[in-house]
Amino acid sequence: MTPLLQVDNLTKKYGSIHALDTVSFELEEHTATALIGPNGAGKTTALSMLSGLVSPTGGSIQFQGGVKQDIRSIIGFLPQYPKFFPWLSALEFTEMAARLSGVETRQTTIEAKKTLEFVGLGEVMNKKTGTFSGGMKQRLGLAQAIIHKPKLLLLDEPVSALDPVGRRQVMELLKELQRKTTILYSTHILNDAEEMTDQLLFLRQGKLVEHGSLDEVRARYAEPRIVIEFEGIQELQRFTEVTKWQVTSKGLIVSIDVRLEKAEMSSVLSVLTAGKFLVRRVEWQTASLEDIFMKVAVI
Amino acid sequence: MAELANIPWNLIMPLIVLQFILMIVALVDVIRHRRTNGPFIMWIFIIVLGNLIGSILYFIFGRRQV
Amino acid sequence: MNGFSVLLQKEWREHTRNFKMLWMPLVFIIFGILEPVTNHFLPEIMKSIGNMPEEAEFLWPEFTGEEIFMSLLGQYQSIGILVIILAFMGTISGERKNGTATLLYVRPMSFLSYFLGKWIVVNGIVLGSVWLGFMAAWYYIEILFNRVDAGAIFAFVATYSVWLVFVVTVVLALSAWLPTGGAAGLAILITLVYQFIDSLIGTYWTVSPWKLSMYASYWFEPDSELSNLWMSLGLTVILIVILIVFGVFLSKWNASKTTV
Repeated sequence: MTPLLQVDNLTKKYGSIHALDTVSFELEEHTATALIGPNGAGKTTALSMLSGLVSPTGGSIQFQGGVKQDIRSIIGFLPQYPKFFPWLSALEFTEMAARLSGVETRQTTIEAKKTLEFVGLGEVMNKKTGTFSGGMKQRLGLAQAIIHKPKLLLLDEPVSALDPVGRRQVMELLKELQRKTTILYSTHILNDAEEMTDQLLFLRQGKLVEHGSLDEVRARYAEPRIVIEFEGIQELQRFTEVTKWQVTSKGLIVSIDVRLEKAEMSSVLSVLTAGKFLVRRVEWQTASLEDIFMKVAVI
Repeated sequence: MAELANIPWNLIMPLIVLQFILMIVALVDVIRHRRTNGPFIMWIFIIVLGNLIGSILYFIFGRRQV
Repeated sequence: MNGFSVLLQKEWREHTRNFKMLWMPLVFIIFGILEPVTNHFLPEIMKSIGNMPEEAEFLWPEFTGEEIFMSLLGQYQSIGILVIILAFMGTISGERKNGTATLLYVRPMSFLSYFLGKWIVVNGIVLGSVWLGFMAAWYYIEILFNRVDAGAIFAFVATYSVWLVFVVTVVLALSAWLPTGGAAGLAILITLVYQFIDSLIGTYWTVSPWKLSMYASYWFEPDSELSNLWMSLGLTVILIVILIVFGVFLSKWNASKTTV
């Protein structure tokens, strides 16, 4: 099966600055892909180019089977800070968006109302958008992005500007959408990325520095280790004297690099019980996405 | 007072009424909207004292979108 | 022409809800009334102020209705055009700047519809306002001065309207091209300042949009030679079409400059 979208060597130069530098990736249908990177990494540039707003300096963007019509008709785009005409009501704006995106004229009002209900703006759909709070604008932004049932949904930091409750609710909406469409979204909040992602793309200074599924990326950077916290320093010393494993210790904590030592949880536990060591906790640890982010994207 | 009576009010009246409507529209908008470039109290003064020009200035420069 | 009627409706709503549909006609009507009224009563006002020598009364020129129409046109040519430029300078550039254009540009709309929607509604407001202004003036001129031939008035206003459409097209095309400030500055230069230059050194050429406001008055003089007027009208219409093409192209070209 061919992917929905294939991006090859996508490049955007502003003068001599590479906002995006030979980035290639694929999006499979009905998957969610998180675009991760620090500010200025090129996330917004990448999304702007896919939305058709900005034309690339180089590289290609190909949709499944080629696209006969305007590519903008199969894409829904939510900018980081969506701006609306303050003198239009939410319903009027959504209807306009629907008609501009080619939703059948007789269906626009019904579809607009349905979509506004879905994003939780049913109660306020006749209010002017000029009176909307940030969270309401974000929801309206989502409504206008999905009104025409796009094949590809591009979301620029969809939940970053929201408070924890709003973020929770919008995340739930996005997970529901994930079943119907393909989503590419940028974020710098890694918990969000962990929650809804089939593929991770790490950008740094315009370059794609790492990509793969959450598990693949984790496996690459996991550095799995077993961590033991002892009751006291004597216990720790007693352990380091008897153990055959190479360990590193810090305070009351000893950690064993699993890949180097071929240690297993069961063998560690049996050593600990056999020696009647007093321990507070024994834990299997892998790098969190945050650790990986610091390694991959920041440096 | 004789001169006052000489003024053909039936000709002047529409002018006064139209200017008044323009001023009222500007004032209602500024008070309801309250989003102006610069302090909105200042715009109320400009509209009331500036008459025709004041109202035009408000609609062109004072009114802020988004 | 994808999305034309939606975009037209959007422009209509915008200008009714920001009151332009109300205050622009009011302003032009007020000017239309002020011109005949002040010209008619000025001698009396001056007299009642009293600082005029007795014989000055005889020096005061007697205006005809036709002349009042022309002096009102003079008002519209300066203050009127300035108001039009300032009111519509941000029509496209403003949407780019505040980011509201983004959610339009990412949809499969045609930039021809986008530009024409604006062009039609803005021209509608401007022409409607100016026509109402001339109608108000007509009413007052008939009462305070003399009856002016209706056919001549229609031809006069129609000729002037072509110039106004040219001005509106210049403003919108510049707004598609430049940021709001630059668009306003250049529009003032092209319409107001060049108008002045054309009247000073423009005696060598006779076919020019900038001469339309002068040629419009020819309709009040029955035996005027009209060939220059017709050629100027033709040239102006051609320039309007070119400016529209230019405006459509530039709004598309500059779409990526919208605030995301």
